[in-house]
Amino acid sequence: MDINEELKKIIVKELFLEDITWNEIDDDAPLFGEGLGLDSLDAVELVVIIQKYFNVEIKDMDEGRIAFQSINSLASFIKERQSS
Amino acid sequence: MNMRIYINGIGVVGGFGSGVKALLTCLEKGAAPLKGHDTGYGPAFLADTAPLDAFVQKRSLRRIDHFSQMAILGAYLALQDAGMHSLNGKGTGLVVCSGYGASHTTFSFLDSIINDGDACASPTLFSNSVQNSAAGHISILLELAGPCLTVSQFEMSVPSALLSACLWLNENRVDQVLFGAVDEYSDVLYYCLQRFFGKNVNGIITPLSTDMQSAIPGEGSAFFLLSNERTDSSKYGSIIDVQTGRLDDKGISSSEGSIFILGADGHKNCDRLYGDFIPPGAEAACYSPIYGSLPIGPAFDLVIAAISMREGKVFASPESVTDQEKYKIVRETSRVTPKSIRCVKLAKEDEFGIITLAYG
Amino acid sequence: MNRNSPVAITGIGCLSAAGMSLKENMTFLFSGKRHASPPERFTSSHPLHYPVFEILKDSFPGNNPEYKDILRTCRLGLAAANEALQDAGLVPEGITGLKVGVCIGTTVGSTMTDEEFYRNFRSGLRPDMRMIERFLRSNPASVIAREFAFKGPSQTVVNACSSGTDAIGIGTSWIRSGMCDIVIAGGADELCRVTYNGFISLMITDDSPCRPFDRDRKGLNLGEGAAILILESDRVLRNREKPARAFVLGYGSACDGYHLTAPSPEGKGLRNALTDALLESGKTAGDIAFINAHGTATKDNDRTEAMVLREILPGVPFFSTKGYTGHTLGAAGAIEAAFTVACLESGMIPANAGFSEPDPELGVSPVKDITGISGKVALSDSLAFGGYNAALVLGLERG
Repeated sequence: MDINEELKKIIVKELFLEDITWNEIDDDAPLFGEGLGLDSLDAVELVVIIQKYFNVEIKDMDEGRIAFQSINSLASFIKERQSS
Repeated sequence: MNMRIYINGIGVVGGFGSGVKALLTCLEKGAAPLKGHDTGYGPAFLADTAPLDAFVQKRSLRRIDHFSQMAILGAYLALQDAGMHSLNGKGTGLVVCSGYGASHTTFSFLDSIINDGDACASPTLFSNSVQNSAAGHISILLELAGPCLTVSQFEMSVPSALLSACLWLNENRVDQVLFGAVDEYSDVLYYCLQRFFGKNVNGIITPLSTDMQSAIPGEGSAFFLLSNERTDSSKYGSIIDVQTGRLDDKGISSSEGSIFILGADGHKNCDRLYGDFIPPGAEAACYSPIYGSLPIGPAFDLVIAAISMREGKVFASPESVTDQEKYKIVRETSRVTPKSIRCVKLAKEDEFGIITLAYG
Repeated sequence: MNRNSPVAITGIGCLSAAGMSLKENMTFLFSGKRHASPPERFTSSHPLHYPVFEILKDSFPGNNPEYKDILRTCRLGLAAANEALQDAGLVPEGITGLKVGVCIGTTVGSTMTDEEFYRNFRSGLRPDMRMIERFLRSNPASVIAREFAFKGPSQTVVNACSSGTDAIGIGTSWIRSGMCDIVIAGGADELCRVTYNGFISLMITDDSPCRPFDRDRKGLNLGEGAAILILESDRVLRNREKPARAFVLGYGSACDGYHLTAPSPEGKGLRNALTDALLESGKTAGDIAFINAHGTATKDNDRTEAMVLREILPGVPFFSTKGYTGHTLGAAGAIEAAFTVACLESGMIPANAGFSEPDPELGVSPVKDITGISGKVALSDSLAFGGYNAALVLGLERG
């Protein structure tokens, strides 16, 4: 499974997005505000999710803001952290 | 203290279903005990929140746990019952109480720590485990802007919180109060009940038995829209007294034309207290076999009292309620509007709560 | 019932990391010191250690062996209640004939989060039920009522971080209505591993000592403690010829209806709570000598709170004392009400510990140094999860 698909499935499951399926999430769509419409509580939950599933730490929300822009940006962030 | 607080709408959810009509159906059937649903530990009275779909979009409920969903459903049903679609945000107070809070979510939060370590504690579960989360969700969905209060007082949660709700109205802090009570089932609580008291092998609650422990867990919510002025929806009578504290030697006084609803729910150590404090010759009913054993039981008793006032009936107690020598258990449904109904809850160490509902 | 009648405060008790009595706390606040360090009574596997404000002393009234069967939160509450009753010149046995109610705010103190019990339960081991028995005996308001044999109503308020403020506000309603002659009102909360992990997961904690209202603030530090105010009706007070220490002049409570964990960016609820408290007190912004702010040092709280204080109470000096005590959750509002009275009495307010750089986004800054004040009325406010907001107007005199 590629990382984008894995991320989408995890997000739908862990954030209880019952009205959407993983393959409906656009790789480039904003995760917060418009697009998927996540909020600040989802953001901190995502930090824990990334730690739990990918063992990648997000130290603060300044880092988070960059990583969480879209599925693509999150996938790049994780890949980069895992290789370093 | 003088008070007259009108009940303008009621929303109720429990093992009997949801809405006043579902509860009334049980009462009119002769109050036959409900068969509990089966959980891993044995029967329990579980509530279904599917009817919430009629009020709130699924997306808005996505992170909201069962505990809060029961409360939200109760709140919306109360509004619907009052013929209202929304509330005056600033002029409405919100008071919610619970015996054990969102216990399932609290343990789920511990799961997140135990399963994956401290760094993987779930912030969503933590936020929802905070005791005032149900009230928080209700205030967001109903766009409330007035004072909010959540109370946690075990078996005295309902009378204690209702007291503050009534005082807010009496002092004109707000024009109306949405008052509610909610408790949820949890495996851990059921486990504790059985460790303390053993299993209920008969599968029914037999309240007021002095030697048999028969509590069966229930869950649900009961919400009331209250005001200090009568409205067109004020069809349930009015609350004229709320007392709670510790009983002194004098016990509970008798009152002519008044009927008691006893909050006995199969916990024998508490059930036996009613014999000491209910006045001799009094008329009393007990309805816990309909909704189960849970700290917020007095809220369901108040709903039943309110239905009695509306229907002009006193409903028979379920058959499994144990007969008493000192006072009389209501066994037949009768077309009588009592002058007042006093809902009594007694707990350990002489704790008591009495809510008096009067006709009109 | 007259919502505008002042309610007398005749005694105060207070414990926190800053001191084991109100007097000790105030001495510490004016010393400019603070003691924040990683928790000692529990451990965490977080890579970073987040400082807390822990009461490290083992001996305080209520923490002796005969009280081992109740939770620490209740023992803290009892200690504060004992000090407050003594301060009020009240002997519990002497007031059992009066209608005495107990109204206590808490968060940890009402949650069944015994980790050891739950781990054993999950593993299929037979957990020790004494932990549950202890929890069932530990409703903070019931514990105080039981200890002193008070027969009036008991209420444990669980309004998250505004619980202490709300408990005092509710207590004043009980007095004004005539339902109670005396109310033991306040808050208590203990530090606990589960709550510690919970707040860290929300990413609103600072891994160094907190900096309320500072430009570089990163979040809160947790603390523990308790404070109790004895509220007394005029009738009882007249009979025993005891002067009041201060008065609750007004209470306001309002919710945002916005978000479970973030305050409304416009501060809607806080505005309403402050306005209502002032209205009830009959005071205006010009009468307020200072504000004991909630000031948790999170980005969101301090931004919202500063904006609202700036608009509703322009030019009124404000400070947060959480730099000295940490955020004591259910106890915070009560501890801060106690501090507010003590500051009015001494005519001095402490520096806002942890503040050094103004935040241009806030447009206002808290007091940086110990400052003399001459007014007799002050305000204490709290903001809480769930979008709750509460405020108390406290004064040295009735009018």
